Amino acid sequence: MRVDVQGLTVRYGSVTAVDDMSFSLSGNKIYGLLGRNGSGKTSLMSALAGYRRPIGSVQLDGEPVFENAAAMRQVCLVRHAADAADKGDKVAHVLEYGAAWRDTWDNPYALELTELFKIPLKKKVGELSLGQRSALGVVIGLASRSPLTMLDESHLGMDTPTRYAFYDALLSDFMAHPRTIIISTHLIEELASLLEELVIIDSGRLVLQEEADVLRSRGTEITGNAADVDEFTAGLTVLSEKSLGRTKSAMVFGQLDDSGLVRARQLGLELGPIALQDLFVHLTEPVGGKR
Amino acid sequence: MKIFRHLTTTLVLYGAIVAACVFLAVLAAEFTLSVFADIVFSGWMLVTVQIARWFVLWVGVYAIHNVLPIAIAHGRTRREFLGAATGFSVVFALAMALLAWLGFLVEGGVYDLMDWRSHPYGSVLAYFLMFLVWCGVGMLLAAAFGRWGYGAALVLPFGLALAVVPGITMPGTGDLPFIRNAPTLLGDGWHLVSLGAWAVAMVATWAIARDLPVRVRST
Amino acid sequence: MFDDRSPIYRQIADRIKADVLSGTLKADEQVMSTNQYAAYYRINPATAAKAFQQLVDEKVLYKKRGIGMFVSTEARDMLRAQGRETFFGEVVDPMVVEARAIGIPLADVIRRIEQHQNGDV
Repeated sequence: MRVDVQGLTVRYGSVTAVDDMSFSLSGNKIYGLLGRNGSGKTSLMSALAGYRRPIGSVQLDGEPVFENAAAMRQVCLVRHAADAADKGDKVAHVLEYGAAWRDTWDNPYALELTELFKIPLKKKVGELSLGQRSALGVVIGLASRSPLTMLDESHLGMDTPTRYAFYDALLSDFMAHPRTIIISTHLIEELASLLEELVIIDSGRLVLQEEADVLRSRGTEITGNAADVDEFTAGLTVLSEKSLGRTKSAMVFGQLDDSGLVRARQLGLELGPIALQDLFVHLTEPVGGKR
Repeated sequence: MKIFRHLTTTLVLYGAIVAACVFLAVLAAEFTLSVFADIVFSGWMLVTVQIARWFVLWVGVYAIHNVLPIAIAHGRTRREFLGAATGFSVVFALAMALLAWLGFLVEGGVYDLMDWRSHPYGSVLAYFLMFLVWCGVGMLLAAAFGRWGYGAALVLPFGLALAVVPGITMPGTGDLPFIRNAPTLLGDGWHLVSLGAWAVAMVATWAIARDLPVRVRST
Repeated sequence: MFDDRSPIYRQIADRIKADVLSGTLKADEQVMSTNQYAAYYRINPATAAKAFQQLVDEKVLYKKRGIGMFVSTEARDMLRAQGRETFFGEVVDPMVVEARAIGIPLADVIRRIEQHQNGDV
């Protein structure tokens, strides 16, 4: 499902959570929506899911989503179970909502996942642990089989084995039923290999949108003699620098061209890749250290 | 249709269970009281006019405040939900009015048997309209508070004004005794005014809830 | 499983090449599907597909429509030839630099290599 966001702004009173954001997703991929806490991830997804009337435009396959029955049928956003259920509802009842109200709902699959995540059907949502509530959110999100499925911080409270079970379920279901999946997170390391494309936002604004593998190749760590590193990095986008004695290392953002590589070799500099997590941290760091 | 079916099946059943429990409690209270004093009024009337309408109002609030966001989270529009909720308010008010009437029937039998005295009570139609309006007002207030937060307190007098309309001609409500004469001039025509109050409540609910944001809960 | 630094598709391609070189994957043998790879390594299927595409472009693998991917007959020889081209630059030269840095005479290194040749190690 194609997603087009144009000039989207979300405000709560005097707080601007999403600030004039525009981007497009071509669809049928697993997207990572990365941003720090409070960067506007949830607000952005809420607007994509028709949870609020957008200022600007949000279109799914060219149709505005807000109060559009045909488009709304294709969307599912879950943070955890609390959005799609009342705290007093039993888990079994929550699944019944999905079965009753969603045309695309796959109930046997929902039950299978509930068992996989060991969520007791008879317990009330309010009695579940945070990890179980998150897992129930994943159940709702995946079993909805929505052409646009959004999972907002779905790993919250999950222990490591459960997270891995979540990643495996997500991948196999995506391969069996390709659709547009957006996962928001600020914990990138574990999820990074699952994501095909990344959308990074900060302070309600788009920082970059890039294929994950391309982004991985765009950051370089340059280490060597401080003076040489400084000479080499002059004019390049330096994300961060640190020194140890006479040795200095700098993180540079942007593809190095061949002449740059040759010069680095001449200067005896060591070039290394940067982890996505580090790139993300530095790309969303406030310039001038003010926040 | 799915939303309408869900609302009616779950909440009418819920209302019926609550009504049955309350009815038994009322009977028990009447028998207990009869030991100490003469029974000179209908306990069921007291409950149906004073408590039941608040229950119905709360159900209206629940539908908008709790079920609407869930419907949206499951890919439904506010418009679809409000259509279902409008139909639901009619069915629910009707069901509750029938339950009230059923209660009077059983209670009347008990009163005859025990030779207790009672007061006149409202007709099924009057009960239906009262519950209808209160359900609508509940939805209206929930929509207003959901959209404007505490700013919706300004809507309260409006909701109250709508809510007293059907009660004016109803025995036992005690609503607005000083203008009780005006409705009697209209006779049964006052029921049309009550229906109008419900229509106003629903139109206002639609107007407000069409832009209702769903707040993503943080815990 | 993968380091989060260099492109994952390249890491996968390198692994498959290593398997071909070591003989774990033989000529005309079918390799796992992209989906199997994705599930096994817990990576995005598009990433796995990209790795396979690179290997097809490099003629290490070939595609049989509707069946899957296979190791090409000449893959191993080709990879060995490529490896020979870069061997001295990427393996021997750094080894010599390292040996010098820690003070091992090259004669000792040569003696060690001769021991390998005689099967003494």
